[in-house]
Amino acid sequence: MAVGSGKALARTVALGMGSAALYLALYLFAGQIVERSAQGGWMFVIPVVIAFLFSMVHGAFTGHFWDVLGFKAKK
Amino acid sequence: MDIAANFIDLSFTHVAYLFIVGFVGGLVSGFIGSGGAFVLTPAMMSMGVPGIVAVASNICHKFPKALVGALKRGKYGQVDWKLGIVMGISAEAGVLYGAQLQQGIKQAFGDAGSNLYVSVAFVIVLGIVGGYVLRDAWKTYRLGQADAAEKVSTLARKVQAINIPGTMMYFKALDAKVSVLFTIPLGFATGMLAATIAVGGFIGVPGMHYVLGAPSLMASATELVIAFVMGLGGTIKFAWSGLVDIRLAMIILAGSLFGIQLGAIGTTYVKPHMIKVVMGTIMVLVLLSRAIVIPVYLSDLQLIGTIEPGLATVLKNVSFAVMIGALAVGAFIILSALLKGMRLHKAELAAAPAAAPVVAFAPAVGLSPVGRLERILLVSDGSEFSAGAISEAIRLAGKCKGRLTALSVVMSDPEIESFGAQLLKQEGERAQAHLAQVRAQAVAAGVDCDVVVGQATNVHEAIVEAADEGGADLIVMGRRGKSGLLKTMMGSTTAKVIGYASCSVLVVPRAARVDGGAVVLAVDGSRHSDAAAVAASNFAKHCGKAVTVMSVVHEDFTERRRAEMDGAVQRVTSLLTQDGATARGELVEGRPAQAIVDMARRKNADVIVIGTHGRSGLEKVLIGSVSERVIGQADCAVMVVKAA
Repeated sequence: MAVGSGKALARTVALGMGSAALYLALYLFAGQIVERSAQGGWMFVIPVVIAFLFSMVHGAFTGHFWDVLGFKAKK
Repeated sequence: MDIAANFIDLSFTHVAYLFIVGFVGGLVSGFIGSGGAFVLTPAMMSMGVPGIVAVASNICHKFPKALVGALKRGKYGQVDWKLGIVMGISAEAGVLYGAQLQQGIKQAFGDAGSNLYVSVAFVIVLGIVGGYVLRDAWKTYRLGQADAAEKVSTLARKVQAINIPGTMMYFKALDAKVSVLFTIPLGFATGMLAATIAVGGFIGVPGMHYVLGAPSLMASATELVIAFVMGLGGTIKFAWSGLVDIRLAMIILAGSLFGIQLGAIGTTYVKPHMIKVVMGTIMVLVLLSRAIVIPVYLSDLQLIGTIEPGLATVLKNVSFAVMIGALAVGAFIILSALLKGMRLHKAELAAAPAAAPVVAFAPAVGLSPVGRLERILLVSDGSEFSAGAISEAIRLAGKCKGRLTALSVVMSDPEIESFGAQLLKQEGERAQAHLAQVRAQAVAAGVDCDVVVGQATNVHEAIVEAADEGGADLIVMGRRGKSGLLKTMMGSTTAKVIGYASCSVLVVPRAARVDGGAVVLAVDGSRHSDAAAVAASNFAKHCGKAVTVMSVVHEDFTERRRAEMDGAVQRVTSLLTQDGATARGELVEGRPAQAIVDMARRKNADVIVIGTHGRSGLEKVLIGSVSERVIGQADCAVMVVKAA
């Protein structure tokens, strides 16, 4: 495997683990998160911040995921 | 697990179901900009999620998904952020109004009335818009124009031509200024549709394409920005009421981010009409799905005879199945097109080394002296008319990492030399001082600059000689400002330099700036315009500009001549696009010089590129009346390119 693709794979795995950690945290703390966000009002920031956070980490992971599999944009 | 009253417990099946539907929805959204979310609300409701929570959670997954998709497609240069934000703000207003309208209908006519309103909106909007989009895609395919550059619709051209002072805004996707009085209602309608059927893009994308004139790829990518703005606003609204089930939203997001990345990659492999094929097909199938249940709602409202409960259930289930089928068909077309595109691309890459020597049109500027911008000769006489040329030559040299030489020529003749030596010395010193200022200005901009003071009887000869000796790729010089009838004339030195120079000449009016605007390339199918195209392509690449390729036809032209000119525009546009430039073609009617200047104004262009003949002997002084008029009348810079 070329050095470049090795690095790309490592980055993808790291991002995948980050994404999995976020989902695990969501699963473990689902009760508290849902309870708080169901209160509404200023608690609206909870789902908004979570959505941004997940989009950054999981979004970066999915981008690299397809790249590693060979689905790259045409230049 | 202690879950708030509105939120259901989730089983593994629920998670897997939402993940898969999310993936397919994301795939469609990544490709056509929207359209992936409409099955998610009913899908969640079928799991027992209350309707309002399903809507809220759907919206909460939409905005981060749209953000990721917009960023991805932004990397491919397909997103117009400004247009997306401007339309997104008015779409937000449309969402609020649409939701209120829906609420009012629900209060007045109950659930059946509300459902009937949604279904009728589906059928009317999707029927008209979807039918039109599909018909247009079919027409493009049938006429064998799938490979040709997209044309701006007649409606969009009319919209772009309307100038309402104080409301005009330049948008990159349109490569033109358009009044916000057109974008606001479009955005509003997009928001209203999003509030009604959860997919605003069914109005937003065709609206940006057919009404404003954005290419379909850019329209679908920009729709993601609108979806992000609308989705964020909607999420805050619902989350404030505590209705967002973040678990549902994040599970859908998990699948949809895989999908949206793949859909976005797909857009780089397909021809633009495929966006229309997918969008039109989904719209028409969704229309069918909603039409199937209309009798049920009509029956509930007692507007027709009663339908048996069993039959009503069957109709509702069939409708839902058709809706899922619509998404599946869309996903299938996208995946097929992506895989086919990748296969073809691989084959092209494999065949490229063999094919390279036979490329006829060569924007490969590295091999052609025509488009190169490595050595720039700035000509300045120190007057106010050279101010634009000085600043733009420095900017251009900086962008192209080119070598800049600044030249001033002191006019002399034997008589002056005999009797006015002191005068000549003073003039020379003045020119030196002026060029020192130019060099300081260039150095401050990080550009190396040589300075040369020449002395000659004929100024144009000294300029052309300096350009030839220094191997200049481009001469940059000013234009004498004229008004009224004299506006059609340019300075005689400039005209002669263009006539005699063997390289291209950029004529910059005093107040013009070559920065941020578009490039207008005028072509007529001759080899001169091919040379101009090479130069425009290189210029656009260095300065990151969009190119409008245009040709002018006269009412007396025969059909054959018109077709030739259209073919020339299409050919150059297509080749520039293949060369990586953002190019669009337009065929306009009128007087050539005036039409070119008008187009530059409409497109907010800061450079017009035009080819000219390389005549010999006495004819050299005749640079062509069209070029001369364009230089005289244009508000922006004009690059006159010589065919090699």
